[in-house]
Amino acid sequence: MITFNYLASFFLIVLGIYTIVVKYNLVKTVIGMCIMDYGVNLLIISVGFNPGGTAPIFTEGELTAASYFVDPIPQALTLTSIVIGACVTAMTLALVIKLEESYETLDTREIRRLRG
Amino acid sequence: MSIFSYQHFPVYAIMVLFLGAFLIAAIGRKAPVRHCLAVLASGASLAFMIALIQPVMLGGEIIAYWMGNRVPAGGYAIGIALEVDALGLFFGLVVTLALFASVIYSIRYMAHDDNQEQYYILLLVLIGGVLGLILSGDMFNMYIMVEIMTISAVALTAFRHKVFGALEAAFKYMVVGGIGSTCILAGVIILYAQAHTLNFAQLAALIPGNLNTATKVAFALLFIGFSTKAFIVPFHPLAADAHGAAPASISLLISGVLTKSGVYGLIRLTYVLFQTMNLGTMQFWLVFIGSVSMFVCVTMALAQHDFKRLLAFHSISQIGYVLSAVGLCTAMGISSGLYHAMNHTLFKGLLFLAAGAVLHETGTTDLDKLGGLSKKMPHTTVLFLIGAASISGIPPFNGFASKWMVYQATYMKAVESGNIGFLLVTIIALVTSTLTLASFVKVTQSVFFGQLPKEYENVKEVPFGMRLAMGILALLCVLTGLFPGLVTTYLTEPATRAVFNAGGYINAMMGSGYAESVMGANAPAAQAVNFAEVGVWSPISWLCILMIALLAICIVALSSKYDRVSENQGAKVEGKYDLFFGGERSVYSQVGGDDLFWGFKHNWRHYFGFMHELHSGVVNDYALWAVVALALALLYAMIVL
Repeated sequence: MITFNYLASFFLIVLGIYTIVVKYNLVKTVIGMCIMDYGVNLLIISVGFNPGGTAPIFTEGELTAASYFVDPIPQALTLTSIVIGACVTAMTLALVIKLEESYETLDTREIRRLRG
Repeated sequence: MSIFSYQHFPVYAIMVLFLGAFLIAAIGRKAPVRHCLAVLASGASLAFMIALIQPVMLGGEIIAYWMGNRVPAGGYAIGIALEVDALGLFFGLVVTLALFASVIYSIRYMAHDDNQEQYYILLLVLIGGVLGLILSGDMFNMYIMVEIMTISAVALTAFRHKVFGALEAAFKYMVVGGIGSTCILAGVIILYAQAHTLNFAQLAALIPGNLNTATKVAFALLFIGFSTKAFIVPFHPLAADAHGAAPASISLLISGVLTKSGVYGLIRLTYVLFQTMNLGTMQFWLVFIGSVSMFVCVTMALAQHDFKRLLAFHSISQIGYVLSAVGLCTAMGISSGLYHAMNHTLFKGLLFLAAGAVLHETGTTDLDKLGGLSKKMPHTTVLFLIGAASISGIPPFNGFASKWMVYQATYMKAVESGNIGFLLVTIIALVTSTLTLASFVKVTQSVFFGQLPKEYENVKEVPFGMRLAMGILALLCVLTGLFPGLVTTYLTEPATRAVFNAGGYINAMMGSGYAESVMGANAPAAQAVNFAEVGVWSPISWLCILMIALLAICIVALSSKYDRVSENQGAKVEGKYDLFFGGERSVYSQVGGDDLFWGFKHNWRHYFGFMHELHSGVVNDYALWAVVALALALLYAMIVL
């Protein structure tokens, strides 16, 4: 069950990198970065999963040694990572808009004034 | 613990920067308020770092600071920590100093730009991120700081979005930098899955003895992640693009500070977290990458026609020196590497600021269009020459002191280990230094000397504020070159001890005896470090040697029947492919081919052509290089670690 999560997350990461390397459209590059991010997010959330565990939400008195819950830290990390991913996407898309305005193309093969 | 206690200074140093950014956003609409806030914030941060020299560098204390005083419970670190040892403080000092110079310079340099509020906000946030990364003792915090740093650096690269290639550079940086950041995040998470902690010190205690497939993958991911931040080969095209397109005050920070944060990450990763540096292959790996960076980037720099792009390639070439020296895993090597890292920030910052001054006055950084500016901008010329002499390793400037130590360190390593390969590194370092000098002779000749083009007749010297920032850096270049003994005693030696003191780092944070209880006999103890032979040189005697050599050259030149006129006219046709002074006669220059090294480049044309084709400028190619580097790192980690 959880193995499938890991496989899926690595599939997403590899798919993201593949998209970045192979696709020549700027928007698709951004999509590749997003997919890579989602893969890592899935990995983080899978790391904290305990089969049969409850949600890690307790008040002071409820928490006992017998409580069995999923690891809350990766969930907090995932939230942070999702926020950062959204920032990166927004930033990159803003750059894509500006690039399209000044180069009038979305093809990465034509956006290469800086080379050599 | 009083709030004025130095234990709080690391967190204050980071906080004032973010607070400054916030205040500029809130009340910084008027220029004087904005400038005051930026100078105050960066100055306060620098002051906090300097105040820490006494306890950390001289007293040898390692400050472990738990946010909200959430100290470890039951042997597990649950809070977020800052940890400052001499290594962290060393980089912190370099970073805050560079920020201070950059802010002073920006006040006049950016005076004509729009959206200055955003500029100063991003500037302070960028360095807040770098400082946070360097002082943090928590892996996930490190990742967040890396992202803060990357995003603000990308935004600042594209800040002058009308500048040729700025948007493009920012986009490439974002994509490949994004791959690097994702690698760091994935590595951190895999380590968390294995050790159930994010605290750096606790990980450093738990991981090294229990390497398995997962932690090896994490090592490779983190290694590549920090390499992207250090811009070493194969990530150097990003640096060249970003440095070239960003405003000069930002180029200073990207080259002087961001690369340092990557180097810091690599040192921490290999020396403290995984403690893999006693492996011969790991040393080879770092020294190899360093040497390749050194050589490839200096040759790339020779072929450039843009002032700042040329400086950018040199910047990575110097990072190659740092990495090679650090990879030697000897006290001498690390000491020289750190020394050179500091010097690199000083002289490269100075050079970028000088390039910015030229851009500010003339509106171009194209080497082919500039010329003769020494008459119009004498102060900038002198400051640039100090920077150029420093980077080329000419005594008595600081570049010589640290490069000399790098040569000495690689040579001594070759003698100690009996491995002829390290001798090769010494030779590559020497050749690179020569090529650096050659390249700067070309820049100096084509920007500051030669004939002044008509359109720059009315160029003036830059405002005092900009010269002040350059002056500070130039003064430090000279001082650190004249007194290498003081630098090694007070800065690099404590930092080198800290690198070899992984056990002390762990114990300072997790409570004393933790490393021994977890790792048993393998616990890394503070190693006795021998600095006996570090920096055995005297600047005065080397200056004398240089003077004698110059005098000798002058005598030879004067006594021989050297006729410049006939040289220029007669020997032109058959001398077209000569090493120096070859090529066709050109309009503005007394030297043929408009380039001092036309003949040299002609002989190496296949190599330069190959490199030019390779650096295609297509972002997919650069991403592919990153993936190949990641694959190699994974392969290495699986087979060797």
